[in-house]
Amino acid sequence: MTMQRRDFLKFAGASLAGALASASAHAKPSSGRPHIVIVGAGFGGATCAKYIRMWDPTIKVTLIESNAQYFSCPMTNWVLGGLRTMEETVQSYKNLPGYGINMVHDTVIGVDTDKRSVTTKDGKKIAYDRLVLAPGIEFMTDLIEGYAEGEAAGKVLHAWKQGPTLATSQATLLKKQLEAMPDGGVFVIASPPPPGRCVSGPYERACMVAHYFKQHKPKSKIIMLDGHFDVVSKGPMFKKAWKKYYAGMIDHRPYNLVTKVDHKSMIVTSEFEDVKADVINIVPKQRAGAICKLAGVRADSAGVWCPVNGITYESPKVPFVHVLGDSVASNMPKSAHVSNNQAKICAAALVEMYNDREPNSYPIIGSTSYSATSDHTSGPIAVVMRYDPDKEAYIRQPGGGASEDSDEINFEYNKTWFDHIWADTFA
Amino acid sequence: MHVKASVFLIFCGMLFAVSAQAEDKPVCLIAGWENPASVCVAHTKTIAATCYICHGPNGKSSGAIPALAGQDKAYLVTAMKDFKAGKRETTVMKKYAMGYTDSEYEALGEFFASIK
Repeated sequence: MTMQRRDFLKFAGASLAGALASASAHAKPSSGRPHIVIVGAGFGGATCAKYIRMWDPTIKVTLIESNAQYFSCPMTNWVLGGLRTMEETVQSYKNLPGYGINMVHDTVIGVDTDKRSVTTKDGKKIAYDRLVLAPGIEFMTDLIEGYAEGEAAGKVLHAWKQGPTLATSQATLLKKQLEAMPDGGVFVIASPPPPGRCVSGPYERACMVAHYFKQHKPKSKIIMLDGHFDVVSKGPMFKKAWKKYYAGMIDHRPYNLVTKVDHKSMIVTSEFEDVKADVINIVPKQRAGAICKLAGVRADSAGVWCPVNGITYESPKVPFVHVLGDSVASNMPKSAHVSNNQAKICAAALVEMYNDREPNSYPIIGSTSYSATSDHTSGPIAVVMRYDPDKEAYIRQPGGGASEDSDEINFEYNKTWFDHIWADTFA
Repeated sequence: MHVKASVFLIFCGMLFAVSAQAEDKPVCLIAGWENPASVCVAHTKTIAATCYICHGPNGKSSGAIPALAGQDKAYLVTAMKDFKAGKRETTVMKKYAMGYTDSEYEALGEFFASIK
């Protein structure tokens, strides 16, 4: 009976795929091969473009990106710690055209999902057979009173999204503020409850800034106003590291969602307290990038993230529009690793469908993320999630989770991970 | 009616494939589920591409994480089994080994062994 049921589900999945494939056959342009337009050249978008071209060089791919270079979020905490330079976090797009990707540096300002075209700031109109959106996150700054004014005054930074230039990138600005802060000052870092980009990031940031303080400003303090109930990612590892390397320096305050900031008095207000700061770093709540709203795919119940079909990453709401990376509504971590991995699953599904083959109904996502706890120690979290077409969800496999300790070998792996994910995405 | 008949035919075909172990079987298994052979080809290249994120593009490492390209198939399969069983010390690989099946170890082993 089990086999029969499974087979029925299998068949249902194949029918869906067949319908998708025949629908896309109608979408073929006169040249005979499809044109896939990808918006956003980060770990999701650039990887998707590259792998579509590697797996089927007959598919035409246009990759639209506003910035001239890629500004990585992974490793910017290392810059704050003095372990790397900002220049080392920037990646060139120069290799992508070598895969036959039509790279367009422009900003999409309109999406016509009926006629299937996008319009850009420079006045271009680009037709697509399928549109893949990988814009990353947008901040909901209006949820924090005074945030917009503080950011405009340069006194409140998120440093949770980088670019558009090295000089204006918020990690650059935050590093300068930390360097200008007197010894004995207070650095406040506030983070929202999940879901959001890189859940372990704020805790790594606390480690890296503490590392910098320990070398240069040992009387300084870090106050973490955490919208989470605890150190929810790699908790035991971070807590051990804080005690071992930075005793008395990091004051972690859970259940402390920030509601207001006054950049003139430098007071950060949470649901429970007012905290006086010398340097303010607030990571606001996030939602899917603005283009997802333009395309009508920010379609979860709160209108914040984008639900997708777990096999193709197509929006169930808007046909021929796919979404990758942090913008996706799912139980997956919003990490570089997951974005890169989703991009490959989407690329494989599109390649199979445009070659009249059934896409794989059982994709697997692996997610690994490393966090540094000092200038010589890191620790990983790893989880494998398998798509179950019966439940229409990615199911976490047993055995996944975080290491309880950070160490030297994982610091070496962490560095290699950076090099490899960048090479896999951009080289 | 058409759908039911098709399901029935596929079901029968699957039983035949499982019981007769036909040489030219048009199906392959992913986690115990039957698929056209092309799906398994796509599945293997996609899960291999997951490995690239840490182990380097095409499994060619430039750093501390070991290379997979050109490794002996039996070595890779044994390594995964040992990670899963806890016989070999790991940082993240036990967590990965537990998420993949024996047939996926085999497919990945073959895939990386073939990269020169």
